[in-house]
Amino acid sequence: MIMKLLATDFLKIKRKGLWFLTILGPLGVVLLQWVNYELVPGRREWLLQRSDDDWLFYLQNVNSFTPLALVLGITILTSLAASIENETNAWKQLIALPISKMGVFLSKFTVLAFLLAIASVLLFFFTWLLGIYLDLGAVIPYAQIATFSFYPYFASLPLLALHLWVATVSNNQGIPISLGVIGFLFTSYSFKLPDWLPWKWPSLQNQWDEPLVNVVLGICVGIILYIIGMLDFARRDVK
Amino acid sequence: MEYIVETHHLTKRFGKEIAVNALNLKIPRGEVYGFLGPNGAGKSTTLRMLLGLMRPTAGSIRIFGKDLKKERISILRNVGSLVESPSYYSHLTAYENLEAMRKILGSPKEKIDEVLDLVRLSNAADKKVKSFSLGMKQRLGIAMALLNDPKLLILDEPTNGLDPSGIIEMRNLIKRLPKEKDITVLISSHLLSEIDQVATYVGVISKGKLIFQDSIKAMRNKAQLKIRLKVSDANNAYRSLLAKGIKTHYQDHIIYLYEQSDEAVAAVVETLVDEGYSVYRVEEEHQSLEDIFLKMTAGGDDR
Repeated sequence: MIMKLLATDFLKIKRKGLWFLTILGPLGVVLLQWVNYELVPGRREWLLQRSDDDWLFYLQNVNSFTPLALVLGITILTSLAASIENETNAWKQLIALPISKMGVFLSKFTVLAFLLAIASVLLFFFTWLLGIYLDLGAVIPYAQIATFSFYPYFASLPLLALHLWVATVSNNQGIPISLGVIGFLFTSYSFKLPDWLPWKWPSLQNQWDEPLVNVVLGICVGIILYIIGMLDFARRDVK
Repeated sequence: MEYIVETHHLTKRFGKEIAVNALNLKIPRGEVYGFLGPNGAGKSTTLRMLLGLMRPTAGSIRIFGKDLKKERISILRNVGSLVESPSYYSHLTAYENLEAMRKILGSPKEKIDEVLDLVRLSNAADKKVKSFSLGMKQRLGIAMALLNDPKLLILDEPTNGLDPSGIIEMRNLIKRLPKEKDITVLISSHLLSEIDQVATYVGVISKGKLIFQDSIKAMRNKAQLKIRLKVSDANNAYRSLLAKGIKTHYQDHIIYLYEQSDEAVAAVVETLVDEGYSVYRVEEEHQSLEDIFLKMTAGGDDR
């Protein structure tokens, strides 16, 4: 059943700009570094002087924007996905079909998690390509590029679960958008946030300096928030 | 009689307000059941509960003899629905909309062309629904409802927003379905004339309560005629008739007869003339279905 729902959900996101955003996000993050390194003459040399490990320094620069792009992306993607059903209250048509409500929620979550995963893969390739273009050194640190591309994804799963929950149960899309704006501001100042706030996690910072903690937290809390959201969605009446 | 839908004390409360109050619906197989009631009487809420969109506060629902609470998915496999305004994905074409549903239902692909043909949208199949007129959207809604070859079709105000020819078309389609495809239809409306023309069975709901449920024939029988007499000095005339042992009903200077046989009417007229009253008019008064409906649901609009 879930495969049928997924096929339907992928059909529904056609022409809604979700795929476009999926590509735009990682491209934007990496293009900002191209601007940072290349646009002002002499700036590249200055940046390279600032550290011994040019690749790592570059990756940290890229990663300063990744969490913001993720939070923004999650807000917009979930809101768009919910608006597809909200526009003509297609929920009542969808839920009256022989499917489980939990399946409907799982399918939406899976589609969005998949799009964000694609975005992370693209981020990996774009980061790698720009790194080569910037000539940062012959030894390419693939493991580190992967860390900076995929860890933020897992660390932001709680936000995805939270946003999907809020977007699907709100009749007024202003609510999830407001939540997204607040989240965006939180993420902008993530270095000042306490470790337990999920908006800090995509930045991969924590007091132990161990990014893997954020990944584990992200997956665990993500699953918990996902289950809460799914149960609440299934419990509610469709108006 | 075999009932396709049977509810037992079905109740839905929103906070303090009781939207649907202890409803015992019985929808016989093969009928077009007209679910009639003023706006806000609880029709949509009832239909939503039948479709599993809303959870009843109390009571139970059996569809095809199965408990909706326990076997929702297997029941819904054989139910088609169009609830209130049609739902669609406006950025997709009519065909894609049906395809999105078909994928979930698992019907064969040919079914899409079949239902598009049935509602005469074949020519617009590849147009985005955004550009459709309201009538076309409504027809697409019907096509969606028929995609799984339902045994029970639930239509909530299906002629809302249609033009006259669209209404007639919809009517013919609804009448055809039970005969040709063995579909039981549940159709709601706040307009008696709508129900009167398609339904074979009627349920009337007012303020959340079911106040009438029977065949449309039985409802028509309620619309019996009355004999009314207009005479001089009606009040005294009424008393003299009473003195003679003829029971009538007096209201606003008009005398209404309970007995309506030719002989009884003749006897009354004779008595009145003998007593010296002038008989101005002896008339038949038809009470229309509309009158009955209005009387049944009196005050139903004020919520």
